Amino acid sequence: MNHIASDLRKKSPGFGLGLRPVHYPDFLREPQAVDWLEIISENYMIPGGKPLAMLDAILERYPVAMHGVSLSIGSTDGLDAQYLVELKALAQHAKPMWISDHLCWTGVQGRNSHDLLPLPYSEEALRLVVRHVNQVQDTLGQRILLENVSSYLDYRSSEMSEWEFLRQVCEQADCLLLLDVNNIYVSSVNHGFDAIEFLNHLPVERVQQIHLAGHSDHGDYIVDTHDHPVAEPVWDLYRYTCSRFGEVATMIERDDHIPELSELITELNRARAIAAETLEALAEVA
Amino acid sequence: MKTLELTDLQIAFHGHLLNQASSIAQEVIDGGRISVDHRLNIYHNAYRVRLLENLRDAYEKTWTYLGDDTFDASALAFIEANPPQHRNLRWHGAEFPQFLAEQFPQDADIAELALIDWQLRHAFDGPNAMPFQLTELAGLSPEDWETVGFQFAPTFYIAALRYNTVSIWHALDQEQVPPAAEALPEPSWLLIWRKGWQPHFRTIQVVEQAALAQLHGGASFAAVCAALSEQFSDQEAATVAGESLRTWLQDELIVGLTGVH
Repeated sequence: MNHIASDLRKKSPGFGLGLRPVHYPDFLREPQAVDWLEIISENYMIPGGKPLAMLDAILERYPVAMHGVSLSIGSTDGLDAQYLVELKALAQHAKPMWISDHLCWTGVQGRNSHDLLPLPYSEEALRLVVRHVNQVQDTLGQRILLENVSSYLDYRSSEMSEWEFLRQVCEQADCLLLLDVNNIYVSSVNHGFDAIEFLNHLPVERVQQIHLAGHSDHGDYIVDTHDHPVAEPVWDLYRYTCSRFGEVATMIERDDHIPELSELITELNRARAIAAETLEALAEVA
Repeated sequence: MKTLELTDLQIAFHGHLLNQASSIAQEVIDGGRISVDHRLNIYHNAYRVRLLENLRDAYEKTWTYLGDDTFDASALAFIEANPPQHRNLRWHGAEFPQFLAEQFPQDADIAELALIDWQLRHAFDGPNAMPFQLTELAGLSPEDWETVGFQFAPTFYIAALRYNTVSIWHALDQEQVPPAAEALPEPSWLLIWRKGWQPHFRTIQVVEQAALAQLHGGASFAAVCAALSEQFSDQEAATVAGESLRTWLQDELIVGLTGVH
């Protein structure tokens, strides 16, 4: 695929939330102050029943992005052909704004850990991921987004920084980025790097979406648990992210201790306010 | 020191998650505020916690019945013996009822309850099919009735039960103390399926179980009626067959006809 840089990103649809089954009734009862929803792809890669009926009802009301957790783009097993068939079938049905997964591996030797395991930032891993992204994009007929994961260790075999690895993957494979600001913060604490430097090295034209989420602070390290509100340092980092990347589709992920929808919308409104203030300030400077 | 190639590094890392002997610690940089072992343990724990939560979710009644300690011990032993092989976490745990049957050979109620949990979940998100309508039978000719059989809903499942597991399930569902487990004088059968978007189950008697098993196996309705005539008078057999068929249609168990041209 060859496109000029300005064509890479789709216009931001605004501010969204991760769709969770507990909130189906809220979204179907009346319009909510949410511009779009992100679905976990695997939750709908099932034979039938109520989840797919709920999805159809949601699709009539909201733009949707698909977000997967099991593509395992960095596994030396290679891609799972059956998984790709099912992912493509869901995409053809849901017609999402875009499709994302994580820059990680989830298993090897035919076994799946169902965790987002870190890759070494090596030339070998880069070549493997680029080849797999090309295969996935050819199969799906569109660019995919890859998300930076939070990690708790560094490999001796790494040959470059995480941000350099991310940049190389998306430029060599011509894919896009789903920037998880919480994951950057979590990893910056766990590995002792500068989150601002991380952000400064990423290509602006390839950041299509932003994730915000909460984490658990264990003192010496932080775990990306998605069971708390977004933390203050992550809001600060989001403010900087807005100033660097401009208007980008932003959403909040909550996977555990899921509160009332109204509480998440209040949290989302804070993201709206931060983005608006930052963009306004930028416009004044310009 | 030389580092592992990516394939070997992933095998070593995954081996660590699975409690196998692994050289992964030598691949991780030792630095910062926490040790290499601690860093690896975060992944080791997260693997088990995620799979355990998934089993608790899939086997909710069994979890309530056994309590946290017993359920978690069994579930963690299952996780060690059955690393997930599917990309979708939805499918991990299919063999858990059989695992519980082997763990608790004297308490078959536990495995039976787990089987009900799993099959109700399967009924929840199993394949869709349009229910066949009673009125559509009106078009059948007398010749058709000699050969017609039925296609059943894709979520159709019959569980054989030896214990009062259904009573235990209902008590747990109503957040009451379950009755003591007791072997039934005769084995019973539980029909599980989805009606609309809702999983259903009901206990069925031997006559209905035999008829459904025959029909599900491809027998014609006429053959089932003939079998009933060997147990009942012709009039009783016709009544039983007619009422059963009406119930199956109302329950959305039948989704199509076979043996009709």
